[in-house]
Amino acid sequence: MSNFLKLVYNELFKIYVRKVTWVMYGFLFLIVLGGAFLVHTLDDELSTTYTDNWKEQLQEENDMYLGDISSSSDSEYFSLYYGELVERNNYHIENDIKPLNYGAWSYTLENAGLVSIISLFTIIIGAGIISNEYKWGTIKLLLIRPISRSKILLSKFLSVFIFAFVTMIFLLLSSLLAGAIFFGFEGLNPDIVVLKNDGFQHVPILGEVITDYGYKVVNLIMMTTLAFMISTIFKSSSLAVGVGIFLLMGGNIFVQAFQNYDWVKYILFANIDLKQYVTGNVLIEGMTLGFSVTVLFIYFVIFTMLTWLVFTKRDVAS
Amino acid sequence: MSEIALRLENVQKKIGKKEIIKNVSLTVNEGEVYGFIGPNGAGKTTTIRLIVGLMKLTAGDIKVLGKSIKDDYKEAAKHIGAIVENPELYPFMTGMQNLRHFARMYDDVPEERIEEVIELVGLKKVIHGKVGKYSLGMRQRLGIAQAILHRPKVLILDEPTNGLDPAGMREIRNYIKKLAVEENVAVIISSHLLSEIELICDRIGIIKHGELITEQTVKGDEETVEKTAIKVIFDVEQIDQTIKLLKEKNIDVVKEGDQLITELQRKDIPAIVRHLVEHEISIYGVTGVKATLEDQFLELTGGNIIE
Ligand SMILES: Nc1ncnc2c1ncn2[C@@H]1O[C@H](COP(=O)(O)OP(=O)(O)OP(=O)(O)O)[C@@H](O)[C@H]1O
Ligand SMILES: [Mg+2]
Repeated sequence: MSNFLKLVYNELFKIYVRKVTWVMYGFLFLIVLGGAFLVHTLDDELSTTYTDNWKEQLQEENDMYLGDISSSSDSEYFSLYYGELVERNNYHIENDIKPLNYGAWSYTLENAGLVSIISLFTIIIGAGIISNEYKWGTIKLLLIRPISRSKILLSKFLSVFIFAFVTMIFLLLSSLLAGAIFFGFEGLNPDIVVLKNDGFQHVPILGEVITDYGYKVVNLIMMTTLAFMISTIFKSSSLAVGVGIFLLMGGNIFVQAFQNYDWVKYILFANIDLKQYVTGNVLIEGMTLGFSVTVLFIYFVIFTMLTWLVFTKRDVAS
Repeated sequence: MSEIALRLENVQKKIGKKEIIKNVSLTVNEGEVYGFIGPNGAGKTTTIRLIVGLMKLTAGDIKVLGKSIKDDYKEAAKHIGAIVENPELYPFMTGMQNLRHFARMYDDVPEERIEEVIELVGLKKVIHGKVGKYSLGMRQRLGIAQAILHRPKVLILDEPTNGLDPAGMREIRNYIKKLAVEENVAVIISSHLLSEIELICDRIGIIKHGELITEQTVKGDEETVEKTAIKVIFDVEQIDQTIKLLKEKNIDVVKEGDQLITELQRKDIPAIVRHLVEHEISIYGVTGVKATLEDQFLELTGGNIIE
């Protein structure tokens, strides 16, 4: 093994040898399993099985939705929601595409929201990976080796994201498994109909899963990098976890509160949801994908440079 | 003449405005055991942190086998093994996992070397137990094990006997001595207990308020050993008569409890014992205490008072 790989191995070993990490995986698995169970028992509608008569079934659904829209005229949201469902059904009928029965893949796609939990875990791991070495006193044994501090820092930073990646795979696989147990398996890589910027499209579901999870990863990367920086500067993991989680949850609220000011578009959180450019619901008028990616990149560079400066230049004193 | 393994050149360290290490210069040769002694807060640990690169020098330079810790850190660090303050290892990992972890940070530490080191520090039985459950002495041994894994040419131990039982202390002392003599390692041991390391050091440096006050050779050549007065304690039956006999020989005697304390040169002891025996004094014991270093230490450091 090369020197650097050995360092990464060390860091991953320290992450995975601890019970805390396995508790995280257990927790995630329970949520996935419990979620599937809940959906299975509570939500009958999802489990509609489309038969050969699927066109009639969709037509019935449409009649029902349209009835709902006209009866509850008070809620604009509802009519929008049902309207979209009706259009989707029509797309199926017009293009002669039989809707996919709810199954493991659909459940997995819906679980993209659980990436927030992985973000939370990654923030916790990232916030501890440096500050714990200070807490345990092992930093003194780590930094007296013939290895530059930059390399040690990089190995730690990478290991945190390897952890996130592995956990993401774990979420995907356990969602597929739980979904298959409760709802059945739709096939290796079935196609589904999704709403894009320019109307409905018929696409392979794996691609949708990857992009949906992928958009959430942007937030994970940015918050973890921030937590990593805070914990390195203040040598305190609790502070870093606190700030990380607070911003993970509250960043959006902040942006919404100051939505009317132009400077908000330079705030990290206004740019963190890149999916806004796919759905077309752009947070602030005039923002583009290129702009957001640039802003994100600048924040990322600032966070990592500060971390690097502090970690490589600071004395390890008592 | 042996090579210089470690050289401190006008080392200075300031933290904020406070000058913690003031212009310390010293050298340690290959195969030499150097005792670094000073009261609490003298700057021992700080000096060690500077040597191992945990802290950056304000001025001066430190060279390990001629390689500067400032300009050629990797080359210098390759040859250093160290324990800094307490031997803190990963508590949630076993001793073995800890050693493998640190072994991976060097180019070449084979599995056999790890086994060999475990054998050496006597941890074979507990090496697969969690370090969190180790006693202080066991952790100290593991600390030494991780410091010597890669066969360093300079071994730095900050209070290594802290927490060891007498048997463990002797073992470690013997081992340190062996490393120095057989593998030609330069060993720097810090302590505020002079008596503990006096036994193995070839030379000691006394540090106080961040200044190296004096350096001394501990075990001088035969001649100086013979000439240095040492404290000799007599434990006899006939106390008063013994005092008289010693006074006749112009030897100063102090009575402390049931014991008589004198200062003699080593070479004179047999004659005096013979003299006492001839006068039918019953001798229960004659003890020679080499207290000179300890006394000098206290004198130089003004006791062990932190100012
Ligand atoms: N991070 C720091 N900031 C300011 N002063 C410090 C710092 N670390 C140590 N000192 C000061 O430096 C001096 C030397 O401390 P050091 O730990 O080197 O002493 P020591 O000789 O190892 O003592 P001991 O025998 O207690 O281990 C002390 O006066 C201490 O207060
Ligand atoms: Mg100390």
